[in-house]
Amino acid sequence: MSGILVVAEHRNRALANVSYQVLSKGRQLADQAQMELLAVVAGSDVDAYAKELAGWADRVLAVKSDRLEGLLAEPCQKIIAHLIRKIKPKITLMGHSSFAMDMAPSLSVELGIPLATDCIDIFWQNGDILVTRSIYNSKVNATYSFAQSETVLITGRVGEFSVEEGGRQGQIEEIEFDFEEESDYKKFEGYLEAEAGGVDITQAEVLVSVGRGIKDKKNLEMVEELARVLGGVVSCSRPVVDYGWLPSERQVGLSGKTVQPKLYLGLGISGAFQHVVGMKGASIIVAINKDAKAPIFSVANYGIVDDLLKVVPALVNKISELKGKTE
Amino acid sequence: MDIIACIKRVPDTSEADFIKIDPAQRDIEKDRLAFKINNWDEYALEAAVQLKEKLGGTLTAITVGPEDWNEVLRRALAMGADNAIRIDRDVSADDAYTVAVILERVIQRLSYDLVLFGAQSEDFGSGQLGAMVAEMLGIPHATLVTVLEAEEGKVHTQRELEAGTLQSYTIELPALLTVHTGINQPRYISLRGIRSAMQKELQVMALDDPGLSPETLVPMVKLEKLELPPKGKEAELIAGAPEEAAERLAKILKDAGIF
Ligand SMILES: Cc1cc2nc3c(=O)[nH]c(=O)nc-3n(C[C@H](O)[C@H](O)[C@H](O)COP(=O)(O)OP(=O)(O)OC[C@H]3O[C@@H](n4cnc5c(N)ncnc54)[C@H](O)[C@@H]3O)c2cc1C
Ligand SMILES: Nc1ncnc2c1ncn2[C@@H]1O[C@H](COP(=O)(O)O)[C@@H](O)[C@H]1O
Repeated sequence: MSGILVVAEHRNRALANVSYQVLSKGRQLADQAQMELLAVVAGSDVDAYAKELAGWADRVLAVKSDRLEGLLAEPCQKIIAHLIRKIKPKITLMGHSSFAMDMAPSLSVELGIPLATDCIDIFWQNGDILVTRSIYNSKVNATYSFAQSETVLITGRVGEFSVEEGGRQGQIEEIEFDFEEESDYKKFEGYLEAEAGGVDITQAEVLVSVGRGIKDKKNLEMVEELARVLGGVVSCSRPVVDYGWLPSERQVGLSGKTVQPKLYLGLGISGAFQHVVGMKGASIIVAINKDAKAPIFSVANYGIVDDLLKVVPALVNKISELKGKTE
Repeated sequence: MDIIACIKRVPDTSEADFIKIDPAQRDIEKDRLAFKINNWDEYALEAAVQLKEKLGGTLTAITVGPEDWNEVLRRALAMGADNAIRIDRDVSADDAYTVAVILERVIQRLSYDLVLFGAQSEDFGSGQLGAMVAEMLGIPHATLVTVLEAEEGKVHTQRELEAGTLQSYTIELPALLTVHTGINQPRYISLRGIRSAMQKELQVMALDDPGLSPETLVPMVKLEKLELPPKGKEAELIAGAPEEAAERLAKILKDAGIF
């Protein structure tokens, strides 16, 4: 029977948020096509995850093995390839996570099946599955179809699909899987957690956040000044850390910190989804960017389309003035 | 150590507020855009050059693209690559799989210990090619690498997961890695460097050099149409000269109790 198979991901004893997101999307696609929704979870101890997944899926395939300590791409690729061959789901769906980026492309080559990554929409059209991707710095949407294939592999963008209640009570099946002898050409040595840094941006009520648009390290001075008058802290997007202008503990986003300040003031940040997933929970978002088409303006409450190097000093002055009046 | 780095050229759309889609909905109009080397590929090249400087060996840069793409190969030569190969093909309508097939064919015929890709391309951001080519070549891979050290016959790498967590691996060569930003600080390339690279030879291959033909390249994923994103929720824009806009924003923040 052909269904939709969702590959669930877990780390630090919890299912990943993106797994709930793609499960919800998978449920919707399965209902629309009157198909079965299956979820697979693999690990050394998966009982709790399997129970959780049964809230969405009709069937949960729980693969348990000591070989699966941590979520490593190679053993998982073997398991998922085996299951896809056996079940022949119409679609295999996973979140576009670091895990998926490591595994999905090689899995698609191993199976000889089409792959579309980082999709922002997945939908049926006349019985075929189509996907939409966001390209050219989120300025263009591209819709794709797949070559004739029994099954396709799709990864969904993190934060793009809303989590709906599953309301199901699916069956859980434990799956045995025989691993071949372990090869030692690629040896996993362990996880390293991000080191706790000096400044904890997750605790700040006001974040003044800078991106590549700051252009030069010396321009950080005026940004520090703005943070000071607002009683806040400076955070940043990834390139600012890459350039060595600020330490990594200041980075907001998918590979950095998730923040929920009262005010998030983004300066010269375009609003790539990897950044936005880390800050969209802020109460007030303000963006200053000279590109009126920057995607950050669709998550911001207020925007100024101008050169930040002109607006920031003016803003420092005006805020100081207003503060002076009340004091 | 013999290293191969795969690189591409991309339009710079990060600050472009004038993107237009061509009437056939197949591509964007590119005549007003500037072009550059893919961001991630610059980090991959720097990583390759640093390894070569430390361990010796050769560095070959490869791109699949039309003639203008020589530009990124020249940059690679200026950074320290010994050889540069361009497979002549307009890839603008190709899916990742098709380009992977071409690259695998070319790489397969070269001698290499380590193959480096960028973690993803800026224009389409599919993040697929590296791991696809590794699987086709039958060699181990790790993607999103932010730490890379090499010794005889193996590499020690760390790859990045969400929230700054790293996964650490030791991988025997030959292997393929995709390089993430922040792994190094790409060196500055002077005009003189680029000019002297103009003298170096670029090897241009036709598709049939590695035994391929357009007919054998069957895409797995097909572009149906391009559109500008639908207008969603938009920020309330504060207009006016910097002074005026700043004043209005300051008031809004004050009224919201921020200060
Ligand atoms: C696996 C993975 C994980 C990632 N994790 C993260 C993450 O955790 N956090 C993160 O931020 N990114 C992350 N990224 C990178 C992300 O994809 C983007 O590349 C990055 O967010 C872009 O940063 P930016 O907005 O500062 O730069 P750009 O996209 O280059 O934008 C710069 C902006 O500044 C504007 N600008 C330029 N000059 C001025 C001026 N004078 N005045 C006003 N505006 C100006 C431009 O119009 C532009 O919009 C990740 C990527 C990958 C692949
Ligand atoms: N046409 C190309 N020629 C050579 N290398 C490429 C090409 N396209 C992509 N790459 C490589 O593949 C990486 C990932 O691209 P993508 O899978 O398209 O996101 C890039 O960073 C490059 O290293």
